Amino acid sequence: MSAPAIEKNLLEKLDPDGRLNLAACLQCGRCSSGCAMRLETDILPHQLNRMILLGMEDDLLRSKAIWMCVSCQTCVSRCPMKVDTPALIDKLHSITRTAPGDLNKVRVFNDAMLASIRRFGRVWELGMMAMYKLKALDFFTDLGKLPMMLRKGKFAFLPRVGRGRSAVARIFDRVHRARRAGL
Amino acid sequence: MKYAFFPGCSLESTAKDYLMSTQAVAEALGIQLEELPDWTCCGSTPAHATDALLAAALPARNLAIAESLGQDVVVCCAACYGRLAAANLALSGDESLRAQVTDAIGHEYSGGVKVRHFLQVLREEVGLAEIRDRIVRPLSGTKVACYYGCVLTRPKELSIVDDPEDPQIMEEIVSAIGGEAVEWPFKTECCGASFSITRTDTVKRLCGEILKMAKESGAECIAVACPLCQTNLDLRQADIEKATGERIGLPVFYLTQLLGRALGLSDEALGIGKLMTDPGKVLGVGL
Repeated sequence: MSAPAIEKNLLEKLDPDGRLNLAACLQCGRCSSGCAMRLETDILPHQLNRMILLGMEDDLLRSKAIWMCVSCQTCVSRCPMKVDTPALIDKLHSITRTAPGDLNKVRVFNDAMLASIRRFGRVWELGMMAMYKLKALDFFTDLGKLPMMLRKGKFAFLPRVGRGRSAVARIFDRVHRARRAGL
Repeated sequence: MKYAFFPGCSLESTAKDYLMSTQAVAEALGIQLEELPDWTCCGSTPAHATDALLAAALPARNLAIAESLGQDVVVCCAACYGRLAAANLALSGDESLRAQVTDAIGHEYSGGVKVRHFLQVLREEVGLAEIRDRIVRPLSGTKVACYYGCVLTRPKELSIVDDPEDPQIMEEIVSAIGGEAVEWPFKTECCGASFSITRTDTVKRLCGEILKMAKESGAECIAVACPLCQTNLDLRQADIEKATGERIGLPVFYLTQLLGRALGLSDEALGIGKLMTDPGKVLGVGL
């Protein structure tokens, strides 16, 4: 078996200008030792860095790791070479719409929140949670907390629709258009 | 001291007490926080996890409004702070992103509006000496674990503190109001943020470790400056106690609530009644 070759295609897709410093990764593992999800994830940050360099796109897009990242920024903050692994993970999200198994909930949550922002300009938490629960088929988690939270006035019953909502809808439309044009 | 204030979505609901206590403290200290007109959501994690242009444009729309008013922006939600500051960083030196953002928001935005966290205003503009002078009801040695979580300290370029591994800004304020800030090693660990909803067990594990360490370090309460940190450590605490069989009983205050109390403001004005874990023992009142 021959040694795997450095594969530039994936790196160029994720970081065409080299701003995210991936090529400088020393594989020292400092990122992985501080990763908040190190006990639960399937690919650690230093491994993920290397897999991008090796062009292992399919394995990365099927991984739990890219959906398990909680964006705590510990890896990039401690990296001696400033490799921006969380930004690389964000870029991997932008080329896949599927998350494995139960992690699909993370994607569903992101979509529910973006839908709320697009619709109202701001997140209406109560409505967003209802939408998330319907789409994730997750009806019972935290249901018992709802009465207390309502009693303490932790949720607004109605969305506050400001004048900014049409400006926000425009932003979503422009971003969608830019993506379709391949920008 | 006059600023454009960006409250953010959480402060309209789950973190209403953060909004109330921030506004009350600002008024008491003569900081003018004028709500940014027509502000809209910063996009939070779902935006940056989905699209880089969306993640820059949503904050930029708000920053452009502040620029037209000629005001710096003050934020107290840690997540909003991070996204607004990150948008400035992403826009600096990236002409093509700036052009795309201009097109998306329909305005020019230079990327130059200063974004500051409310803690920075307290520490740098008001100052510790002034805060100390205004104290009428000191914390009298209450042991406080200051918990920063992630986005106030990381990444380094956006951090509000000198040392992301051992920040001190909250400890300095706690000391100024007569509290005792405990030394503890988990102050910049992650609480799991919005995974609270999608991966509840993960968040219970992370918060359980943080709460246990705070308790073992001698803290009688925790101080935070982020709505997600507060909600996770407070709302999940009873479940964590149930799962582990160990009593924790650590109230989780917004730092502004502790500061407000020390300034003599009422519990009603500070939203103390909205806390889940009973703060009565620490505050010396029954709630």
